[in-house]
Amino acid sequence: MIRNYFKIAWRSLFADKKYAFMNIAGLAVGMAAAVLIALWIVDELSFDRSYSTTDRLYQVYSKDSFDGKSNIWGRTPGPLVSALKSDFPEVEDAVRFAEDTELLSVGDKRLNTKGAITDSGFLKVFGVASISGNAATALTNPSGIVITQSLSKKIFGNTDALGKTIRINNKFDREITAIIPDFPSNSRFHKTEFLLPFEYWLQAWGSGMTESWTANNFITYVLLKPNMDLEMLNNKIQNTIRSHTSSSSDPVQTQIMLHPASKWRLYSKSENGQLIGGEITNVWRMGRIAIFILLIACINFMNLSTARSGKRAKEVGIRKVVGGSRKSLVFQFLGESVLLSFISGAIAFALAFIFLPSFNLLVGKSLYFSYDNPSFWLIAFSFILLTGLLAGSYPAFFLSSFKPIKVLKSGFKLSKNAFNPRKLLVVSQFAIAILLIICTVIIKQQTLFAKERDLGFDENNLLYVTLNDELKGNYEIIKKELIAKNLATSVTKTLSPISKIQSDRWGFSWEGSSESDKKQDFIYLSSDADFIKTSGVKLVDGRDIDIYNYKSDSTALLLNEKAVKVMGLKNPIGAIIRDDDKQMHVVGVVKDFIMGSPYEPVQPLMIEGPSAWFGYVNMRLNPLNATADNLKQIEAIFKEHNPLFPFEYSFTDQQYELKFKGEQTMGALASIFSGLTIFIACLGLFALAAYTTETRRKEIGIRKVLGAPVLLIATLLSKDFLKLVGIAFVIAAPIAYFVMNNWLENYQYRISIEWWVFAVVGLSAILIALITVSFQAIKAAIANPVKSLRTE
Amino acid sequence: MITITDLEKYYATEEVRTIALNKLSFKVKEGEFVAVMGPSGCGKSTLLNILGLLDDPDGGSFVFNGIEVAGFNERKRADLRKHNIGFVFQSFNLIDELTVFENVELPLIYTGVKPAERKVRVDAVLEKMQIMHRRKHFPQQLSGGQQQRVAVARAVVNNPKLILADEPTGNLDSSNGNEVMDLLTELNEAGTTIIMVTHSEHDAKYSHRIIRMLDGQKVTENVLAEFKSV
Repeated sequence: MIRNYFKIAWRSLFADKKYAFMNIAGLAVGMAAAVLIALWIVDELSFDRSYSTTDRLYQVYSKDSFDGKSNIWGRTPGPLVSALKSDFPEVEDAVRFAEDTELLSVGDKRLNTKGAITDSGFLKVFGVASISGNAATALTNPSGIVITQSLSKKIFGNTDALGKTIRINNKFDREITAIIPDFPSNSRFHKTEFLLPFEYWLQAWGSGMTESWTANNFITYVLLKPNMDLEMLNNKIQNTIRSHTSSSSDPVQTQIMLHPASKWRLYSKSENGQLIGGEITNVWRMGRIAIFILLIACINFMNLSTARSGKRAKEVGIRKVVGGSRKSLVFQFLGESVLLSFISGAIAFALAFIFLPSFNLLVGKSLYFSYDNPSFWLIAFSFILLTGLLAGSYPAFFLSSFKPIKVLKSGFKLSKNAFNPRKLLVVSQFAIAILLIICTVIIKQQTLFAKERDLGFDENNLLYVTLNDELKGNYEIIKKELIAKNLATSVTKTLSPISKIQSDRWGFSWEGSSESDKKQDFIYLSSDADFIKTSGVKLVDGRDIDIYNYKSDSTALLLNEKAVKVMGLKNPIGAIIRDDDKQMHVVGVVKDFIMGSPYEPVQPLMIEGPSAWFGYVNMRLNPLNATADNLKQIEAIFKEHNPLFPFEYSFTDQQYELKFKGEQTMGALASIFSGLTIFIACLGLFALAAYTTETRRKEIGIRKVLGAPVLLIATLLSKDFLKLVGIAFVIAAPIAYFVMNNWLENYQYRISIEWWVFAVVGLSAILIALITVSFQAIKAAIANPVKSLRTE
Repeated sequence: MITITDLEKYYATEEVRTIALNKLSFKVKEGEFVAVMGPSGCGKSTLLNILGLLDDPDGGSFVFNGIEVAGFNERKRADLRKHNIGFVFQSFNLIDELTVFENVELPLIYTGVKPAERKVRVDAVLEKMQIMHRRKHFPQQLSGGQQQRVAVARAVVNNPKLILADEPTGNLDSSNGNEVMDLLTELNEAGTTIIMVTHSEHDAKYSHRIIRMLDGQKVTENVLAEFKSV
């Protein structure tokens, strides 16, 4: 019997290639999209879950309130680790962890490398086994270093690196005590390539920061003993910091809590002192899109299958007459849709495979199909089977319900009920498509809006390098040479790159300031000289900092307009600003420029003279030279005067561009997927048009015999569909408005939603629908009425 | 074999109720060949649908092989139908996507006959209908007469006790029509009961008895040939 079903399915597929193509194409495209999104979601959900100890791993978070506002953050004081270990028997082990970037050198090889400084228990806490060397003791050696396999390859090639020496930051020699596998791409340590024992911190920066209960410099990871109750333990440990500082006059009120590894990736957004949401929002968002697309594709399938019901009705009748039960017919039609689903599924996986590299590029991941994993095949199989059953369910029950006497004797007549499930399906398809398109347009508008915002400085042709130890000594020579050789028009040292906030401070006082002004936060930057000339920021009042011409400029200050405003300074130039014992004087005011998020208003900013710390050297490249030539010559100068470090540079505009990455990715994904939705929805509409024309063949025939012109008939047939798309729009528009309004709330600097977006999208949807439908309508209208009437 | 008593059937639309069968009663003996005649709309087809267990009467009694089947649900009717009744239609009603062989095989599949036996039985019946050489063809590749022979083959492959024929020659020219009527007569002579709805006096003459209907009622009955119970 199954062979018979299969035969029928296969032959009816080929008997009507147009329908088969639309059926398979729609379903395959929908499934391919769903597969790609599913890969993305699986990757997100798998983050930080591959450690052998995952279910017992926690990160300690700190909680406190300032000004009545609750805050939560993931850094903790240095002494907390030993307190946790000694106070609570539930804690099996705990380690401090601090990210670190160091220059690693072996012979001529120099690599700026990302890694971390951590306690000796790290490898055990995260269940990391070594490839060579002893994982248990690797970090107990104070002059040891643990490196990953790929770093070992980069430095030592294929030779065994164990026991060899690496020089760190041109200062400290460390012996490789273990080589560990690379952290997988779904681990938060993916970019960590070396681990230094905690003694390195003490040697490089001293013990000051590590003993304070108020300086939150470290991430603390805790490994609990098996089967611990998290809630109970959280209650127990929350006041650990207070109890250890109770002897001092001012005990630290900060509380702590444990955050499980399975939530690190998905729930990392802190809001009102709680870790809610974060990446999980994106997971839901993508999940919804995947379900939408798959649903649209299935709806499509239903429409296409029922549209063909006229052709299948006779078969149903005959099968029933010769003894087929309704159940056997349901199975037959479900079997057909499952067969189609498997064909579509095979195409979908092929499509997904082809587009995976581009998708990876777009979302910045390295997703792959795990063919070697049996559960992959099982999931793929069930996915296809379920899609087939879902898509086939409605047609199966619809088709199998035909009464044989009706379809065999009087020919097949489709009902024209007021409530027609197929119309409902088309409305929901178009509603989803219109919703996605409106969202896409608004996301794009918002991104463009923020991108076109005037930065207040010239981000092009602005290069920066990290100020390393050696560069600190040779900075002035290099600066002179860069300008003398016409490579750069101007050079300045700063605390952070100009488009990156790395420091903020509070606690200042000035003439007329109140006690509460001490809580006013300022973005902090520094410069030696030529800040304005290099950055292109506009000077509003006074002059630039210039330590080379004004000896007292060591404590000079530039303020931005926003700072002047919040401080209430009437005559900012010459104003004295105090930071505890330090006195600074304002020499200039600059126009507001965007250092932080392009979506937020500019914050108050202070730029301090050279008494502050410097971290970067910025160069305004000479625009008259070709960039490549410029870079070559600049590199030569750095090689000469800064030979111990590799010449690694960044362009400010490229770094600034990264701030849009999230929105751009989302915008791109939204446009791709809404494009697919409208494509599939149009296939569905096409089917419904075909279906309706079939039901109205007799009517059309009679109208034509009575003299109705082609255009009138075509309009008559198209009108109904446009109504459906209209209804879809009415449903989708308010939802889109609500969703996008919510989304825009995330941005301070944002567009307002405009009515014409809705109008344009709505009209385009109607236009697309019209083109799709008119094809069928015109075909029906020009058909010879004799044919359609004769069959009666 | 068949006894119907006061059989009633109505068709109702929103405003009009049409009586298709109005207290119709008659009997058909096993092995008989009965023709039902009457103008369009007299209820012939409705009668055939009810006799074929495709439709349920609204009133009266229908005893098939000693069992009262009026009021059977669809599943029970389907079960009885597939073992006992074969159908021949005016428009042949073959499945276009299946070959001659597969079309004839269909009833056997639904009654759960094993593939090997199916092949033997289908081949035998195709041989008998002289359509064996076309067994791998699709319906569209056959002439009307050939298609109707396939349909008859399908109707008899299960060895039904009763064949219901709904204007079996209506779509055929006279020579093909006669061929089909000869086939039916042969089947009847071999013991199959046949009830045939027809407009053609010529075809009706092949039967033992003609029941003439008008407005859902039996008007007359002509006995053409003496029928002796088997």
